[in-house]
Amino acid sequence: MKLWARMLWALLSGPGGRSGGIRGLAFSSWKSHPPLAGLLSPTGLVSHWTRVFEKRGIPEARESSEYIVAHVLGAKTFQSLKPVLRTQPLTPQQLQCIQVLCSRRLQRVPVQYILGEWDFRGLSLKMVPPVFIPRPETEELVEWVLEEVAQRPNVVEAQGGPLILEVGCGSGAISLSLLSQLPQSQVIAVDKEEAAIDLTYENAQRLRLQDRIQIIPFDVTSVGSWTHLLPWGPMDLIVSNPPYVFHHDMEQLAPEIRSYEDPVALDGGEEGMDIITRILTLAPQFLKDSGSIFLEVEPRHPELVSNWLQSHPDLCLNLVAIRRDFCGRPRFLHVQRSGP
Amino acid sequence: MSISGLFRFPAPLTRLCRVPQGLGLWEKLTLLSPRIAATVVQMAGKKDCPALLPLDENELEEQFVKGHGPGGQATNKTSNCVVLKHIPSGIVVKCHQTRSVDHNRKLARKILQEKVDVFYNGENSPVYKEKREAAKKKQDRKKRAKETLEKKKLLKQLWESSKNSTEKNH
Repeated sequence: MKLWARMLWALLSGPGGRSGGIRGLAFSSWKSHPPLAGLLSPTGLVSHWTRVFEKRGIPEARESSEYIVAHVLGAKTFQSLKPVLRTQPLTPQQLQCIQVLCSRRLQRVPVQYILGEWDFRGLSLKMVPPVFIPRPETEELVEWVLEEVAQRPNVVEAQGGPLILEVGCGSGAISLSLLSQLPQSQVIAVDKEEAAIDLTYENAQRLRLQDRIQIIPFDVTSVGSWTHLLPWGPMDLIVSNPPYVFHHDMEQLAPEIRSYEDPVALDGGEEGMDIITRILTLAPQFLKDSGSIFLEVEPRHPELVSNWLQSHPDLCLNLVAIRRDFCGRPRFLHVQRSGP
Repeated sequence: MSISGLFRFPAPLTRLCRVPQGLGLWEKLTLLSPRIAATVVQMAGKKDCPALLPLDENELEEQFVKGHGPGGQATNKTSNCVVLKHIPSGIVVKCHQTRSVDHNRKLARKILQEKVDVFYNGENSPVYKEKREAAKKKQDRKKRAKETLEKKKLLKQLWESSKNSTEKNH
């Protein structure tokens, strides 16, 4: 059997997997090009791996294979690939690469970690486990902040602004999006995990935004350490997508999340409020008068946060607006500081 | 305390209404909202080009990821394909060009607006006019290039033959 056909057989069968008809087809018709060429085209590979993923119960079977194949071809999505490229045979190296990446998907590794990169509001960010993967909803949090900033030009300082604090920066998605859209802004980005600090720094450099961001290891729950941030000055805004999953919901998370993402970035305690309330408690010390806090939260939180703020009037914080995400769920809160 | 009064709804992505004539397409759209400028169709910038038929958000039906689950941190979905339907005409657009839901939504509206315009305006649609103009320009360029090439050939021939005749005369 020719080396080429042997490779084809190995590549299509997957680790320990059975490809049945595909294997048979490879054996009997490797001499005739048209069916083989179709099989080894991007479209053919996507169909093949979609079936493999479906059989193994991998969620988003089609999307996963499309992203992996597109990535190997240098494209961000399968649909953005030129149609003519979709039917051309792939090289053995490309096939090998797809094989390796798809095997990882069979282990339920999230696509973003497999590709090692993902987009957030058009910015390309490096992704490294276990640093939290930015969610699509969070793009809207940034959108809201930008709208609010645009409506209040007095927020911008004489030497540029606004000055923004991000709590729990993860991969740097929120901070770097804001920096790229607000050329005069400065960001203090904090996270309690070293891996997140490193990744945010790397992404800042990739995007050439490192001059306007300070990335500081900081645990918002540790008592007293917040004084380290005070020298950076009172902030115009605090933004955060804090861990907000209810603790008892953690075990119901999909394997992709449970096995590969840092639980510390997700678990918000019994009612998912631990980090949220901590941010709100500290906020008045960091915020200018009439400064704003923008949070992404769990749909059950607006009520809980409202009640909590009412029982802590000394903070002088008011929940001024709630915004829904693209699925219609209450997802974002705007809390404002009212005076000293 | 009721928090229902605190809900804010994000402005629809496109809310193109009839605006005063005399303004170019670009000016019309940027007047309405800075964000709408991002959804301006490719014909923008041409002052005398008529606007495409506007899309009314109320006539659109949008579908995102099916079975999105709890969403937010509790979910990790990569499928951000947007399916957008224009109810009156029945035209459906599927967009998965980018990895951003927001960008796909905007792109889907842009593509849908062009299709809807063609649906109602047929050949009179600026979409077709633009294509015809582009095709014509391309044809004109090719024609000019061909003519230039032929002129050069002719000049060369004349030069060659005058050289030969000069040589013969000596």
